[in-house]
Amino acid sequence: MSSIPDSLPATVAQQAAVAGKRPRRNPYLFFLLRRIGQALIVIFVVTVVVFALLQMLPGGPARGVLGVQATAEQIAQFNHEQGYDRPVWEQYILFLGRLLAGDLGQSYLLNMSVTDAITQRLPKTLLLTGLSLVIALVIAIPVGIFQAVRRNKGADYTLSTIAIVAYSTPSFFLGMLLIMIFSQNLGILPANAPQGETIAAVLAEPQRLILPVLTGAIPLVANFSRYMRSSALDNLSEDYIRTARSKGTPFRRVLSRHLLRNSLTPVVAMLGYQLPVMFGGALVIEQLFNYPGMGLLFWSAAQSSDFPVLLGCVLVISIATVVGSLLADIIQSVLDPRTRGGIA
Amino acid sequence: MTSQTVLQIDDLRVRFAGRDDFAVRGVNLDVSKGEVVALVGESGSGKSVTSFAAMGLLPRTATASGSIRVGSEHEVIGQPDGLLDGLRGRVVSMIFQEPMTALNPTMTLGAQIAEAVRNHTDSSKHEALERAVELMLLVGIPDAERRARQFPHELSGGQRQRIVIAIALACEPDVIIADEPTTALDVTVQAEILDLLRRLVRERGTGLMIITHNMGVVSDLADRVFVMRHGQVVESGPAERVLTNPTHEYTRTLLAAIPALPPAAFGGAEAAGGPHGFDAPEDPVILLRGVNAGYRVNGRLVPAVHDIDLAIGAGEFVGLVGESGSGKSTVSRIALGLLPASSGELMLLGQPMNRLKGRSARRLLREVGVVFQDPGGSLDPRKTAGESIAEPLAIHARGMSRAAKRARVAELLDAVRLPRDAASRYPHEFSGGQRQRIGLARALALTPRLLVADEPTSALDVSVQAEVLEVLRSLHADLGFGCLFVSHDLGVVNELTERVVVMRRGAIVEQGRTSDVLRAPRELYTQELLASVPSPDPIAQRERRAARAGLLEK
Amino acid sequence: MSFMKRFSQNRLAVIGLAILVIAILFVTIGPLVYPTDQIRTVLESADLKPGVEGHPLGTDSLGYDVLGRLMVGGRTSLLVGILAGLLATVIGTLWGAIAGYVGGIVDAVMMRIVDAGIAIPAIFLLLVLSSIVQPSEWIMILVIGFVSWLVPARLVRAESLSVKTRDYVVAARAMGGSHTRIVVQHIVPNTIGTVVVNATFQVADAILLVAYVSFLGMGLQPPATDWGAMLSDGLGLVYQNAWWLILPPGIAIVLVVCALNFVGDGLRDVFDVKGKTA
Repeated sequence: MSSIPDSLPATVAQQAAVAGKRPRRNPYLFFLLRRIGQALIVIFVVTVVVFALLQMLPGGPARGVLGVQATAEQIAQFNHEQGYDRPVWEQYILFLGRLLAGDLGQSYLLNMSVTDAITQRLPKTLLLTGLSLVIALVIAIPVGIFQAVRRNKGADYTLSTIAIVAYSTPSFFLGMLLIMIFSQNLGILPANAPQGETIAAVLAEPQRLILPVLTGAIPLVANFSRYMRSSALDNLSEDYIRTARSKGTPFRRVLSRHLLRNSLTPVVAMLGYQLPVMFGGALVIEQLFNYPGMGLLFWSAAQSSDFPVLLGCVLVISIATVVGSLLADIIQSVLDPRTRGGIA
Repeated sequence: MTSQTVLQIDDLRVRFAGRDDFAVRGVNLDVSKGEVVALVGESGSGKSVTSFAAMGLLPRTATASGSIRVGSEHEVIGQPDGLLDGLRGRVVSMIFQEPMTALNPTMTLGAQIAEAVRNHTDSSKHEALERAVELMLLVGIPDAERRARQFPHELSGGQRQRIVIAIALACEPDVIIADEPTTALDVTVQAEILDLLRRLVRERGTGLMIITHNMGVVSDLADRVFVMRHGQVVESGPAERVLTNPTHEYTRTLLAAIPALPPAAFGGAEAAGGPHGFDAPEDPVILLRGVNAGYRVNGRLVPAVHDIDLAIGAGEFVGLVGESGSGKSTVSRIALGLLPASSGELMLLGQPMNRLKGRSARRLLREVGVVFQDPGGSLDPRKTAGESIAEPLAIHARGMSRAAKRARVAELLDAVRLPRDAASRYPHEFSGGQRQRIGLARALALTPRLLVADEPTSALDVSVQAEVLEVLRSLHADLGFGCLFVSHDLGVVNELTERVVVMRRGAIVEQGRTSDVLRAPRELYTQELLASVPSPDPIAQRERRAARAGLLEK
Repeated sequence: MSFMKRFSQNRLAVIGLAILVIAILFVTIGPLVYPTDQIRTVLESADLKPGVEGHPLGTDSLGYDVLGRLMVGGRTSLLVGILAGLLATVIGTLWGAIAGYVGGIVDAVMMRIVDAGIAIPAIFLLLVLSSIVQPSEWIMILVIGFVSWLVPARLVRAESLSVKTRDYVVAARAMGGSHTRIVVQHIVPNTIGTVVVNATFQVADAILLVAYVSFLGMGLQPPATDWGAMLSDGLGLVYQNAWWLILPPGIAIVLVVCALNFVGDGLRDVFDVKGKTA
C-alpha cells in the first residue's frame, strides 16, 4: 500500500474520468449505504458478544425462559425442544431468529417479558440523556469558540481548568454534591426524579428533572467544550478564515458563518463515541435519583442476577449506540460536503 | 501621493512580539492606477509581512509603524478592526498563495463570492448571487451558474485560484495585492492566471501589487519592481531596467541563480521533421518497458501511467518533467520499487524488479538512492543527521564496524559540503537546503548506481537551490551515478540533464537530448509547456508570450 | 534534560505531578504511619462526626475510621486504576500499531471489532461480567483493561497511519529496509509520544471506571474497599448530611484524576513540540 500523491485527482468523478469509466451515479447514496452496512456489521458483532455472554450464564438460557423455579427435567426438555443441545452455531442462528422476532426472553423476577420491560423504560432514559445532551451542546459550543478566540488569556485558562475538574468528577459524586447543596441545605430542588409511567407524566414534573439532567449535562459540557475549543483553534489558523477577513467580513460573522460549521465536524464525530459513555452515565444517575428508566432497570437486574434483562439491556443499548453513531455520521456528511462520498 | 496612487507605503516597520529584530525595516513603496508593481524577495525578506500589513491582517503579536494608505486617502496602520473591515474587499483586496486551502470547504462557491458583495453593498441575496455568476464568467469559469452551487473540493487548483480572484474583484477595489498567486500552480496554469491578471488590470485600471520570488513572473507582468532583502528594499525601478541591468549586488546574485532556459524555436514537428532521436543506452541501469501502473483507491484500481518506455544508462543524467497529474512521481515510485507495475517490464541493473520479492528485492535496492522534495519530512526527526545518513549502511553493510561507519558519514558530509559536526545534530537544527544535502548524503552512502531525485529543490529558495544543485552536479561528476531527476522546472532540467522525458496525463509525450527538446520541441504540449515558462529576460519573455498565444490558437 | 525543563514550564502539570506523588505516599506510607483496623467492625462507634474520639475524619456506619479507610481504599483505587490503565494502553497500542501499519483487510477487520467494542457501554459490560464472576482485584484489573483498550487502539492506529506515509519511512523502504526495521526504528519512536500521553489519560479513566463499578456495588466485597465503594456506603446517609463520608473519597477521586489529566496535558505539550512538523 503506497501513499497516494497529490497529483491524483481529488474526486472520484475526476478519477473515474481519468480511468475512462463513468462516475458512480449518486456517490452520496453509495456513501449512506456503505455506512449503514458498516453499522449492521457492528450490530452483528454485538449480538455475537451478547450470545457469548449468554452461554457463560450459570444455568443457561433455559432459566431465562422458564424462570428460576424450573426443575431439572423441565430444563432438559426445554433444552431439547429449543435446540440448546445442538451445536453452538445452530444455537446462534436460533438466537438471531428470536432477536429478529423481538423476543428477548422472560425476566426472572419482573413477571413480564424483557421486551416489555425495556419498551416501558427506554423512552424515559432517552428523554433524560437527550435533554442532557442538548443542554450540554448549547453551552459547550459557544464556550469552546469563546475559548479559542481568547486563547491562553485568563478566561481560557480558567474555563479549561474548570472543565478538567468537571471531567474528573464521577457523576455520582457530582449528583450527591448537588443533592446535598440544593436539596438538603438550600431546599430549592427536589432530589427525586419524576416517577411517572409515561413521558407525559414525566414532563409534568419538570422541577424534578433539573438535578438529574444537570448531573448528566455537566460532564458532557466539560468534554465537548474541550473538543470544540481544540477544533475551533485548528480552524482559526486555516487559510479560509483569512480569506473571509480579507473580504471585509466582520469578525463576529467570520465566527458564525465560517468557523462554526467547520469546527463542528470533529465534535459531531465525538458524539458518536460519547453515546455509550452517556448511557453508562445514565445508569448511575437513574440509580442516584431513582428515575425509572433503563439504567435503573439494568441496575436492579444486576443486583438480583436477572440475566435475561441484563443481556436484553446490553443489546438494546448497544444498538441504540450504533444507531446514534450512524446519525452522527449522517449529520457530519450534511455539515461537510467533502464527506459525501468520493473522498475517503 | 497623487490622485493616481492606489497604494502608498511609507517607512513601514513591523516587529513581532518576542523578537528583537524587525521583520520589515523601513519600506517605501507605491502603486498607481492600472500599474503592476512586483515585490520580489526570498523567504525571510519580509515581502509577505508587508502585504499583510497593507491589508491590516497582521497577527496580534505584530506591531506596525509607519503609514500605509490605500485607495486615495485611507490609512491602514493603527486603525480599529471595524474600520478596516470596511476597507477590506472594497478598497483593497487580496489574492493568496495556496488556492487549495483558501476557500471555505463547506460553503458553495457562489455564496463565498456573494459574501464579498454583500459585505459592502445593500444587495439582496439573489442580486449578490447574480453578480457572483457574472464574476465567475469574467475570470474564466465556464458553466458558471451550475458551478456556483458547487463546493471548492470539486474544482482544481487553478480553478480555485480563479474563484479567489473573483472574490477579490467583487467590489471593484482600487488595488489588489496578490501574494505569490501562482507559486502553487502548474506552469501552464500559471501562464493562464497571469494572462487573466494582466487583462483585468488593463480593462479595469485596478492597481496590482504582486509578490513573488519568481523573476520570470516579474518580467511577464510587472511595470515596476521592488527587490526586498532582510526587511528592506534594496533596489527598485522599472522592471525592464532592473531585470536587464541590476545595480544592487543582491539583485544580481538573485538573477544569476535562476537556472536558464535556452532560446526556443516553436515551429514544432512539421518544421523540424519528425521526433527527436537519441541513443538508447546499451547496458541500462534501469529499464522500463511498456509499464502500466495505478493506485488502489477504495478498492478500485485507478490507472496512473500507461505504456512507459524509459531507460537510463550508467552515469546518465535524465530529467523527467511534467505538470501535476502527469505521472512523473508515479514513475519515480515505480523505479524505487515502491509501486508495483500492473504490466510491463521493469529491470533494475539487469534484474527483473517486478518479479523479485522480499529480501532479494530489498538487496537490489542498495544500488538505488533517493532524495525527496520536502526537506521537512524526509529525515526522521528523532534521529541525528549522522544516524540518518548511516541508515543505508545499517541495512546493507551490517559487517561494517562502527568506526568505519562514522568515517564514511564524515566522508559524505564533506562531499555535500557540510561541517563534520553536523552528524550529531537533529534535523530541526538545520535549514531546508542543509536538510536536502543531508538527504543527498544518505542517498549516496553506498555509492549507488542510480539516484532518484523527486523534485529535490522545488521547496527551496532560488539561491539555496543553486547551492544544492551545484553539490549534486559535482557529486555526479565525481561518482558517475545514473540519475532520474524528476522536476517541473524546465530551467533546472536544462542545466543538469543530458536527456529529458516529457510526460502528460500518464504518458510520455516527448523524449530526447535535453538541448534538442528544449531548443526545438516537436510536440504541441512540449511547446506549450516551454512557452508557458516565464523568462526573467523581458525581451525573451515577450517572444514567449507571443509564441504561446500562437500555440493556443491551434 | 530539556524534556524535564519543558515539562516544568507547565504549572498545572507540575501541580498535578505533586498531587500524584502525595497521593501515592498517602496510600502506601499512610497506613504505616497511621494504622487503623479496617477489618473488624466497631458498631458502637458508628457514624461519628470528625474530631470525635480521635477520628480526624469521623467513622462510617460500621465504625471504620474514615481517614484510615481513605488510605486503604485509595490503595485499591490507585492500584487497580494504574494497572488496568497500563494494560489497556499496551493492548490498544499493539492492536492499533499493527492495524495501522499492515493496513488493508487486516486493518478493516481489526477496526470493525474495535467499533463493536466501543458500541457496548463499558459499565454495562462490566456489571454483567461482575454478576457472573466474583470480582477480586486482579479480575477487576483484567476486566477494566479489556474494556478500555479500544480508545488507545483507534488513536495509535491513526498515528501509525500518519507516520507510515511520511517521507522518511518511504525513504527507508526505498533503501530496502525490512518491515521490522521500519516499525522498530521509525514508527515506534515517533508514536511513543502519543502512547505515553494516552497512557496517562487511560489511567485517569480507569480510576474513574473503578469508582463507578464499586459505587454500583459490583466491585470488591467488604471489608475490602475503595473510594467508589466508600461513596456508595455514604449514599444512604446523604439525607443526614453526613458530609465526612462523602466529601473525602469524592474529593480524593477528583484530585487524583485531575492531577493525571494535568500531567497528561503537560506531556502532550512536551511531545508535540518535537513530534509534529511546524
